[in-house]
Amino acid sequence: MTASAPANLNTQLTTATDHRSEWSQAWRRFSANRIALGGLVVIILLALMAIFAPLLSPYDPINEVFRGMRGGSPTPAHPFGYDHLGRDLLSRVIFGTRVALLVGLLATGIAVTLGVVIGAIAGYSGSWIDTLISRVIDTLMAFPIIALLVVLAAVLGPSLVTTIVVIGTTGWARFARVVRADIMSLKATDFVTAARAVGVRDWRIIWRHLLPNVMGPIIVLATLGIGGIIILESALSFLGLGIRPPNPSWGGTLADGRAYILRFPHIAFFPGLMIVITVLAFNFLGDGLRDALDPRERD
Amino acid sequence: MLTYIARRILQGAVVIVLISVGTFVVIRLMPGDPTYLLLGEGEIRISQEQMAALRARWGLDRPHHEQFFIWARNLLRGDFGDSLIRKGIPVRQMIFEAIPVTAILNVTSLAIALLVAIPAGIIAGVRRNSTFDYGTAVGSTLGVALPNFWLALMLIVLFALYVPRWFGDLPLVGRIPPFGLKSWQGYILPVLVLTTEQMAVLTRVMRASTLEVLTQDYVRTAYAKGLPNVIVLVRHAVRNALLPVVTVIGFRIAFILSGTIVVETVFAIPGIGRLFTDSIFRLDYQVVQSLVVVLAVLVVVVNLLTDLTYAIIDPRIRIN
Amino acid sequence: MKQKRTITRRDFLRYSAMSGSAALLVACAPAAPAADGEAAPAAAADEAPAAEMSGPKQGGTMTWVGHQEVAGLSPAFMGPTVHWVMIINIQNPLVTVDEFNEQELVLAKSIDIAADGLTYTFHLHEGVLFHDGSELTAEDVAYTYNYYRNPDNGAPIVGRFTGIGSVEAPDKYTVQVNMDAVNAASLTSWATVPIVHSAYHAEVGEETYSTSPIGTGPYKLKEWRPAEFTELEAFDDHFRGRPNIDVLREDIVPEPSVRMIALQTGEADSAVWPLLVEDSIFLEADPGYVNFRTLANSIKHFPLNNSIPQLAEKEVRQALMYALDRQRIIDELWNGAAQISHSNLTPASPYHHTGLKQYDFNPEEAMALLDGAGWAAGGDGMRAKGDQSLSFTITTITGDQARRPIAELAQLMFADVGVDVQLEEAPVATILQGMREGTMDASLYNWTYGSAVEPDPFSTLHSTGGNNFAQFNNARVDQLIEEGLQVVAYDEREPYYHEIQEIFVEEQPVLNLQFDEWMNVFNARIKGLPEGPKNSSMYQQAYKWWIEE
Repeated sequence: MTASAPANLNTQLTTATDHRSEWSQAWRRFSANRIALGGLVVIILLALMAIFAPLLSPYDPINEVFRGMRGGSPTPAHPFGYDHLGRDLLSRVIFGTRVALLVGLLATGIAVTLGVVIGAIAGYSGSWIDTLISRVIDTLMAFPIIALLVVLAAVLGPSLVTTIVVIGTTGWARFARVVRADIMSLKATDFVTAARAVGVRDWRIIWRHLLPNVMGPIIVLATLGIGGIIILESALSFLGLGIRPPNPSWGGTLADGRAYILRFPHIAFFPGLMIVITVLAFNFLGDGLRDALDPRERD
Repeated sequence: MLTYIARRILQGAVVIVLISVGTFVVIRLMPGDPTYLLLGEGEIRISQEQMAALRARWGLDRPHHEQFFIWARNLLRGDFGDSLIRKGIPVRQMIFEAIPVTAILNVTSLAIALLVAIPAGIIAGVRRNSTFDYGTAVGSTLGVALPNFWLALMLIVLFALYVPRWFGDLPLVGRIPPFGLKSWQGYILPVLVLTTEQMAVLTRVMRASTLEVLTQDYVRTAYAKGLPNVIVLVRHAVRNALLPVVTVIGFRIAFILSGTIVVETVFAIPGIGRLFTDSIFRLDYQVVQSLVVVLAVLVVVVNLLTDLTYAIIDPRIRIN
Repeated sequence: MKQKRTITRRDFLRYSAMSGSAALLVACAPAAPAADGEAAPAAAADEAPAAEMSGPKQGGTMTWVGHQEVAGLSPAFMGPTVHWVMIINIQNPLVTVDEFNEQELVLAKSIDIAADGLTYTFHLHEGVLFHDGSELTAEDVAYTYNYYRNPDNGAPIVGRFTGIGSVEAPDKYTVQVNMDAVNAASLTSWATVPIVHSAYHAEVGEETYSTSPIGTGPYKLKEWRPAEFTELEAFDDHFRGRPNIDVLREDIVPEPSVRMIALQTGEADSAVWPLLVEDSIFLEADPGYVNFRTLANSIKHFPLNNSIPQLAEKEVRQALMYALDRQRIIDELWNGAAQISHSNLTPASPYHHTGLKQYDFNPEEAMALLDGAGWAAGGDGMRAKGDQSLSFTITTITGDQARRPIAELAQLMFADVGVDVQLEEAPVATILQGMREGTMDASLYNWTYGSAVEPDPFSTLHSTGGNNFAQFNNARVDQLIEEGLQVVAYDEREPYYHEIQEIFVEEQPVLNLQFDEWMNVFNARIKGLPEGPKNSSMYQQAYKWWIEE
């Protein structure tokens, strides 16, 4: 924290207009980073694919079963081949984008919201509340997340909502830890003391003054985390605890496809490829954001 | 220093108690009754009396809090109880046979990963935006992005099935088996899969911290003093850049289970990952509870050691 | 008949019903050789199918791959296949059902069954040795039965011993089992439980015994790592002669595709649990492998919980049968390697009823039945009656990638007639409890409703049966099951089991899909394998096999 404290202090004292230029500077730095931009473009494309899935997919991903085509290889009409029932794999992969993005974004959203709120409370209030929350954070961080996921998914019964909620509610600790540390260091600054002295309410200090300053690292962490969550979804499917059929999901198709890896390798290949592309895109975006938002790493 | 350690140990104990209670509660929330699995598939005619006898035998008929205290008391004495499913084998033996298997795989892959990641991360950081930097960025992101069971299966298909078919036995390595740890060759593929991910994460961390250190005043001063690049790098930059790497290694201990569950399942390796999933799916309460506690202790200890290492590597950090 | 040591179940019952025990002794005369053990390998060679130029060779290691850990090696664990193949090679039962669905005498030299079916007298082979060199006596048998049938000992196989009143050992080589009630299934249930070394078992206890068993089997335990492998080595003094192959090993490999690769690379010689159908068929075409297709005793079926309102009416269950295109499931998902099930009994059973009502794929009929029963289609095409929607959940076993596609296709077929089906996955333990207690709607399972050898469906169709997944409660069926078990003669039993089958297809407590062709692939280097086996229990004959590189 030695290095970041003065930098945070500086940002803290900026006015609203400065804030805007701060963001536009960040955007300028970000847009100069071609890899990060590429990541952003891919994510936008994926989002469009998810939104317009019904228009884009050539066949019905669930009900259109081609007779006798179980595991059929790719053909011009079915460039990704057929799945383990004989459905068009391309259509299922296109629809699977929805699940991947939904799980990635919503679960991260839940984790970030919980993490920020809890971290802020811990960091701002200090005392026994902080001690308690810190121990809970330690516990969650020490607990193998996959174990918790397996058990929770089994308790709640696998479904899209379960997957999102379970991943979201178990993943907040890392965000809380960062927010808590930053808020603690910010709390000690003169301007917070001043604001308190003139009677500004605590929640207002947190909301208006402290949180905007910790959002940079949080956005970066969150973007980098989305990729991990998409993979986690596939790991859950691997353990039979993912999205329920007949709904198409990459993780589910990939996990199912591993049984057919020798006879029908394309079933596992294409969803695997999509996961790799998506995770890459989010990670490049995250890296770009880190370079752009983190004042410590300015050239 | 001593008070610090004492306090950390106390806090660690609290964490472990929380985890014990949490695991105990959560596993009992799982639907299903292990007695049914004890009775097995395909068996005939099970009466309520027989069910009751089985439940009594395994202490499953007692109230939950009583079960918890019996388990906790025995655990403190070092008695982890007996597995419900694998009767006759003490849980302690199961856990302590599984840990070395997982540990060897992970330590080996971590060592290899560090050997590659540290230099790669430093070079990428120093030569920022060079081709090498972009190359490691793509490579390391790919390493994180590949679902490891997919990678594992692909490697098995390639190295165990097709490579021998196309090229015969490989020089030095000979034949790579598709599963198991019967020979040293059996370690190659699982270690490769684990290394890929570790390497990717560590390279990214190393690059980031190198970048940060390079902008620090003391490094700039060192350059200004005219010290040769290599000396500045090694004496100032690398040493400090290693800090976050140590942290990440500490963190990753908790993640080891996640990675090994998949790798051990695919390669049929009897480590803690397999033990954990097998036990969960069979509702082998005793094994799951004790295993999670053992892992939690491990994580707490490692985290403490990480923080102490921190203090040793970086004298600026005062422990308080 | 080639299998001289055996008599068929049907003959067996007929003999025993006709003339008590006398005929049995004759039938069993050319039974296993005497205790010197010299003749056995020769006998095995006689039975070897393809006339090899060279005889059996000693030596080598044969590796099997299984899908789940071997949790223990005592008879208590004999249920699951991965356990049984090891247990049955370490310990011997008095009798067994062989891979031709015929009764085979193992430790018993002959059996006398009293005409009233209440007394079984087994005459044991003399000079049969345990792995520690001591001799098998009637005391060992009595001890084994008494131990595992005692509910206080909590053995999962306790249910097999139903009907037994007492077990006695009148002399060193005679065991007498006195029944409280006739149990026509006796010789396929309790009499197939392997015998333990009584003194040793009593000394170390069941738990230790299950980790280090001592039996009379052709192989003795060498090393056991539950989740990794079990390794057995040849027992030189086995009463049927020393086995040819030195080491039997079962590796546990959870991933189906990795098991397949292990067979392809020669890492394994056989998969005791079937591979993916496509993989087995792929190997079948390769001269380097032998694939045995045997008709399963078990029905692949959707057990339905008859006690929930949406599945309580037989019209609904019949409609679900008509909605299923079962031939399509077999053709498209099972490579044609199965037969449609038209009854609860396999066509291999002598009791199989051929004149039953059949449910050929007929969605119109399905919809007509549902309409007639008052389940009207709503706006979305899904049916409901009052507040109750025609919707239920099929829970499949976690990671069961071989069977789940069937549920996925069925889900679409049911949707076509307006029935909403949800799919879930859960661990086996959860499903076993949920279906047994009636808290789960439906599942996808292979389960026997009477086998090729024994037609009794007590556990699955009787209202008090332990595996009555359907929560089926039909007074007439209960009565037929109870009475059928009291009758031993084939001709007299037939009417009971025919009527049960008639009620089964009328009530459809479960949705019976198919009898699978169970596939067991062997590397062709293994010789002495059976010719045209009828079930997958050939692993108990491993002592006859040898390796030819």
